[in-house]
Amino acid sequence: MIELFRVNMVYPNGVVALKNITFTIERSEFVFMVGASGAGKSTLIRLLGREFLPTSGRIRVFGKDLTKMRRREIPLYRRSIGVVFQDFRLLNNRTVYDNVAFAMRVVGAPSREIRKRVPEVLAMVGLEKKAKRKPPELSGGEQQRVCLARAIVNQPSLIIADEPTGNLDPDTSMEIMELLETINIRGTTVIMATHDKQIVDAMKKRVIALEDGQVVRDEQRGAYSSYDI
Amino acid sequence: MSVTSRGELTAVMIFRNFIYYIKEAFCSIFRNGWMSFASVSVVTVTLLMLGSFILLNKNVEFLAAEIKNQVEIIARVEETLPPPEVERLRAQVIQLEKVAEVRFVSKEEALQNLKAQLGDVVAGYEEEGRNPLRDSFEIRTVIPEDIPEVAAELAALPGIAEVDYGADVVPKLFSVTNMVKWIGMAFMVGLAVTAVFLIANTIKLTVTARAKEIMIMKWVGATEWFIRWPFVFEGMLLGAVGALIPTLILQRLYAEAFTWTRINLYFLPLVEPEAILGELTKLLLLLGASIGTLGSIFSIRRFLKV
Repeated sequence: MIELFRVNMVYPNGVVALKNITFTIERSEFVFMVGASGAGKSTLIRLLGREFLPTSGRIRVFGKDLTKMRRREIPLYRRSIGVVFQDFRLLNNRTVYDNVAFAMRVVGAPSREIRKRVPEVLAMVGLEKKAKRKPPELSGGEQQRVCLARAIVNQPSLIIADEPTGNLDPDTSMEIMELLETINIRGTTVIMATHDKQIVDAMKKRVIALEDGQVVRDEQRGAYSSYDI
Repeated sequence: MSVTSRGELTAVMIFRNFIYYIKEAFCSIFRNGWMSFASVSVVTVTLLMLGSFILLNKNVEFLAAEIKNQVEIIARVEETLPPPEVERLRAQVIQLEKVAEVRFVSKEEALQNLKAQLGDVVAGYEEEGRNPLRDSFEIRTVIPEDIPEVAAELAALPGIAEVDYGADVVPKLFSVTNMVKWIGMAFMVGLAVTAVFLIANTIKLTVTARAKEIMIMKWVGATEWFIRWPFVFEGMLLGAVGALIPTLILQRLYAEAFTWTRINLYFLPLVEPEAILGELTKLLLLLGASIGTLGSIFSIRRFLKV
């Protein structure tokens, strides 16, 4: 479903972020992208979100070549992926309900459907009682769950999570991971960038390790570092 | 997959989105209260200046036109010309293409006018046969600018002794009123440009404050116009409100000024409020809304590139 072929990324300021990256991710996979800060995880995530284009190479998602996508097709593409951020990126002056409903309004969903779907998703992430609260009134874990609810509300086939547990304590992190696993079991592909060793080791999923912009390891049911097994 | 596909841009959806845009625009105005206040103030101040200047300019033009219309040619008739000949000459003058109006002023009448202006100095000339003045015609042209030409034509007619139209004053007056008109125009264009610039900057501030919001919208797959419309409506609305305030102020002030000058400076005629304020209101509202809209579109452009 996702195919990267000889992807190179050099930022305009000359920083080389990715070198010759090639890998494939199948439908319904759960993949950890691990590596130290600056290894290229975020760049990969942003490339997959079509925030910018790689310097060279090809990226195909759902059979579509992102490098050949037209400008006006980008919004439509983004509707088929859900993105979860480390800093949540919620609208602080709107309620939890509105933050989630917002993603549906953007795609032009009818109000009837929004009123039905949003409570469903909020229940799924366990926030049905906080629908009327605003993000600053919530804990970090709760905010991340709102972000997750927003990401899945349009039923995307791919979830991209950039360090979703980066700002959370270990217990809360595990709650978020359980949610992501549930979403994955229902058939959604999940790609998660992280440098949280504990989580990666506990989940036993596929691990793609990056170092200085290169893939140094790619294994099924892997751990954070190779010498741990 | 997602709820919508490309083909679903039906009328229902457009209407639904329209409602959303308007609602968002209103919410955003109140959510960003201070920024809205700043934008409205900028529009208000600039349009207040612009509006005052338009009023001033219109009145200068009006006044200049009034003065121009009062300029007339005085053609003096030779003393020896018998009355029937004078009458024939009058008919001849009114036949001229560019002449609008001819009035015969007898020398007695002319002397009375002079007396009214100068007083008893002329007393000695009132007796029969001592009047040094000539009979004359007061001639108005259709367009004031034709005066020099008509004057030349008149001078060539037999029976006309001399022609006087203030040859020095008229061209000067025309050049002065023209200059006032052009300076006014330049000033107004300058003000309008300044207004767009100031408003674009103010709206840029409000957009910068919401860069995060725009980024989130982009990440959940909003199209550029979906993001843009609420801002466009917001700009339009703020611009219109900003225009409404100076419009109301100017309407009130101008009506007052008109009444005051009519009583205290009756020789200084102002344009009737009814004749000028309707147009001014329309112009300012249109200008305010356009400035707001343009400002929004300009300042949001940079943030759409995610």
